[in-house]
Amino acid sequence: MARFAPVLLFAPCAFAYAVFFIWPQASLLAMSATEKAGFTLAQYERFFVDSYYWEMLGRTLWLGFAVTAITLLLGVPTAYLLARSQSRWASFLLLLTTFPLLVSAVVRSFGWMVLFFRDGLLSRTLLALGIVNHPVQTMYTMTGVIIALAQVLLPLMILTLHGVFKSIDRDLEYAAMSLGARPSVALGLVTFRLASGGIVAGSLLVFSLAISAFATPSLVGGARANVMATAIYEQAVELLDWPFAAALATILLVVVLAVSLAYGALLEGRADKEASR
Amino acid sequence: MGISHINRRQAMAALAASATFPLLPGAAQAQSFAGRKLVSSGFGGSTMDIIQAAVFTPFDKESGASTTQVPMQSAAALARMKAEAGNPQIDMFQFSGGQEAFAKSEGLSQPMAGVSRMAQIPAALKDPDGHWVTWAVIAEGIVYNKDKIKTPPTSYKDFLKPEYKGHIAFPAITNGYGVDFLVMLAKAFGGSEDNIEPGFEAMKKIKGETIFKAASDLPTLFGQGDIWIMPYDTGNTFKLQQAGLPVAFATPQEGSPAVNITACVAKGAKNADVAGAAIDMMLKPEAQIEIARRMRWTASNPETKLPADLAAEVPAVDKLAQLDRDKINAKRASWIERWNREIAR
Repeated sequence: MARFAPVLLFAPCAFAYAVFFIWPQASLLAMSATEKAGFTLAQYERFFVDSYYWEMLGRTLWLGFAVTAITLLLGVPTAYLLARSQSRWASFLLLLTTFPLLVSAVVRSFGWMVLFFRDGLLSRTLLALGIVNHPVQTMYTMTGVIIALAQVLLPLMILTLHGVFKSIDRDLEYAAMSLGARPSVALGLVTFRLASGGIVAGSLLVFSLAISAFATPSLVGGARANVMATAIYEQAVELLDWPFAAALATILLVVVLAVSLAYGALLEGRADKEASR
Repeated sequence: MGISHINRRQAMAALAASATFPLLPGAAQAQSFAGRKLVSSGFGGSTMDIIQAAVFTPFDKESGASTTQVPMQSAAALARMKAEAGNPQIDMFQFSGGQEAFAKSEGLSQPMAGVSRMAQIPAALKDPDGHWVTWAVIAEGIVYNKDKIKTPPTSYKDFLKPEYKGHIAFPAITNGYGVDFLVMLAKAFGGSEDNIEPGFEAMKKIKGETIFKAASDLPTLFGQGDIWIMPYDTGNTFKLQQAGLPVAFATPQEGSPAVNITACVAKGAKNADVAGAAIDMMLKPEAQIEIARRMRWTASNPETKLPADLAAEVPAVDKLAQLDRDKINAKRASWIERWNREIAR
């Protein structure tokens, strides 16, 4: 019986994945590669011979990288401070950081509209501070999408990193310092290196959510911020070209998978190399 | 198939009702659909609420049915109709972007039964085989900020005026009004549905202006967006005015394109009979007056006589320009491809 225990424990999850993920993905794959005459790669050819779609794929990846970088930059110090803080406000502050997640994407986007339009708060503030000399419009631009997505995905980064920092024993830092490391060196050599798994996990989470996000790019980005997710919607819903939409979805999935594996391998490989040094 | 779950008494009552209908209009229909549920697609927001109040609430009261609208934009509704082909969960669909023609050609709709007022509707506003009917019409034209623009615009050519530069907005081509704007620009500069080139040429000159996707952005565009002029419609102008924004509607000399608001019944709909009766209610003059009063939509039934004050604000259906929707639908996909590359980039 004990031999089967792992199988039994794994079964519910595997079953749910098979029914709700693998089966739909397989049908999408089939839809993208069939036509009346049978097997075809025409949908993929249409994508790969057209510089317009390459540009869109590039824009999508750029969105993912930019959002991941911003959330890392803002998330690492915040998560570290919250994890190390002795203040009784720390857990309340952590709760506060999750607030963007509690607001629906549509409501949030209307909030950004008020801030981002030419006559909105952001433009007026920049004008008043003398940073710009003419009104700027951030609404319906990629910059706007990056800011809006970074805001909503930051909590996921902070929560992931907070858990990791919390689990790293403070004594390890003290040990490094007692052996002569300056605090900044101890932080870099010990804490951040131990946290690299969490950094990978948080980055992958944010990256994959950013490049597959639909509502925010559509509402904040408008017609010009064409990314893979909005193009899939346009093909499937506006143009009813389901085979091409399925091909776009498959390409997006493969690219996310490839980037995730490469990123994970890169960070872990580096950690291994340094560990063996 | 659709009739199997109706019990015999209900079927008899319906038969009796339809048989006596010519003798006793209205009264004979009373409570003929008691206990039945009708599901329709709806346009969402206040539009959906007003349609519910003007059409479905009186219909429910009269027929005993209970009608629910599921909010969906037209394109999404058509996608849903296609996805549920053969086993529709939504009985009737409302479209605003010409989707009814596609639904018919794909075999997703069926001829409507029990729509006696269909005979009153002009031939151009209904399907010859009875698959769909136009129950309201929206007039497109130019919406402008009257505080900023003192002399009302008169032509689609005005969008190229240098004094409006930086204050122009127009809908993306995936929005039905975006396609019509392209066609009307083409017409203003000597083109047509068959010759769209002048439309793209003109639009390229304003491609740097604000492009939006949905009507829900309109209040913010005229508020925080610093927008003075855009191509849109009478209905949304009225909504913006009610919200206190200083906007007005202008009819361009090239004509106000008509946007037909249509209704159709999904093929194999379980409540096709109820849907037919509800659509008949949509064509009723009283309902159409209420729609005109609360949304400034034009009545499609020529028997509808608007009160004088309303008639002054709502263009009559025969004054509107009917674009060649078949040609537009046939070219839409290629125009969208081109638009994405040449305008939105």
